[in-house]
Amino acid sequence: MNASTPVIDISKLVRKYGQTDAVNGLTLSVEPGKCYGFFGRNGAGKTTTIKCLLNLLQPTSGSVRLFGLDPARDEVAVKSRLAYVPDNVAFYPWMTIRETLDYLASFRPHWNRETERGLLSQFRLPEHQKTSTLSRGQRVQVALIAAVCPEPELLLLDEPTSGLDPIIRREFIETVIGAYQETDPGNRTIFVSTHLIAEFEGLIDEFTLIDQGKALLTLNADVARQQYKRIRLRFAQEPPVLDFPEILQQRREAREVELIVRENGHPLTDRIAALRPESVSTQALALEEIFVATLK
Amino acid sequence: MLMHLNFNSGQPAYLQVVDQIKTAAASGSLQAGEILPGIRPLAEQLRINRNTVAKAYAELESQGIIETQPGKGCFLIKNHSPFTREVRRKILREEIDALLVKAHHLQVEKEELLNLVNERLAAFGKKTGSHGTPASNPA
Repeated sequence: MNASTPVIDISKLVRKYGQTDAVNGLTLSVEPGKCYGFFGRNGAGKTTTIKCLLNLLQPTSGSVRLFGLDPARDEVAVKSRLAYVPDNVAFYPWMTIRETLDYLASFRPHWNRETERGLLSQFRLPEHQKTSTLSRGQRVQVALIAAVCPEPELLLLDEPTSGLDPIIRREFIETVIGAYQETDPGNRTIFVSTHLIAEFEGLIDEFTLIDQGKALLTLNADVARQQYKRIRLRFAQEPPVLDFPEILQQRREAREVELIVRENGHPLTDRIAALRPESVSTQALALEEIFVATLK
Repeated sequence: MLMHLNFNSGQPAYLQVVDQIKTAAASGSLQAGEILPGIRPLAEQLRINRNTVAKAYAELESQGIIETQPGKGCFLIKNHSPFTREVRRKILREEIDALLVKAHHLQVEKEELLNLVNERLAAFGKKTGSHGTPASNPA
């Protein structure tokens, strides 16, 4: 594969359930080595999209390509190069953790035993316990270990942290992703779908915000945090009318105004300073706040 | 060295890492020849992507502040300013201009600002144990 082939390439994807459009013209592309966020509310079409990538669902129209291949035609070739952790992890209940990992390893040409050992001990997982007795958090941990040990080129995570308590969430996502990217980071791509954006704030290189089956916004995370701002203004008198095109939302309370803006290279602050406010404070929006501002 | 990132600052995460390592070097909390945290542990500690840490270290290396010794890690270089005196002044002038603009917005008067600068110089001087400032030695 040459370096410019996207790991994931989705073009004008449409997937209907009866009359309902779950995905309605989605286009996005993920470069190798990136950690890509796929953000949207419940029911936005995230899981349907992932199922199309895995050939668990066929697109109504449009195309999906993984590593430049069609997952419907080259299913085995595609799946041998990726690992998928669904939002609801299920194992054979009669197997222990040890047996489960060995069973899953038997399908893979390669399995990093050292990574497995390291993560098992870091998470203090009881290897000889049956998977049916594990907590939800432990089951997700086992699934993530099973996903990174084959060292696939692509890790597909569907809502990996939903339903977990905040302590577990904090601890293990970085640990697992760190272990995954340890060898050959240029060929370790992560595609994570979630609505718990704050959990992934620092991990995400680029993201697409999906709503009602369409991409609303695709941006580099650093660029997003530079463009989206919260500006608080206080005026000596009644605030003037503010109608700059960059303004997405505004709130007024007596002499104060709070703006949510998206700048496009021409700083708003100069134009705002001309209105002579008493004080100005500017703060970048975190990804979760951008999500809320865009969907509201 | 404990770092902290602020995603509401609008500054890219990798630049925040760069700045904090530079600050640690300037204040003496990171000494010349001292090893920097590994890429993976730092990424996990800050809850960021390892690419971000790698990018920060590459930037520090290109600025001549750290060096990578293969198989050992990254180290802070002694006497790490590779710039000529004029370039250094130019860089600082830009930073000072930004500070002056901010002080104006906050309505901090000249006197008060100069006092603050002196106060910070004294604080940094204490940490490095030298009488001068970390950047004051001419080339």
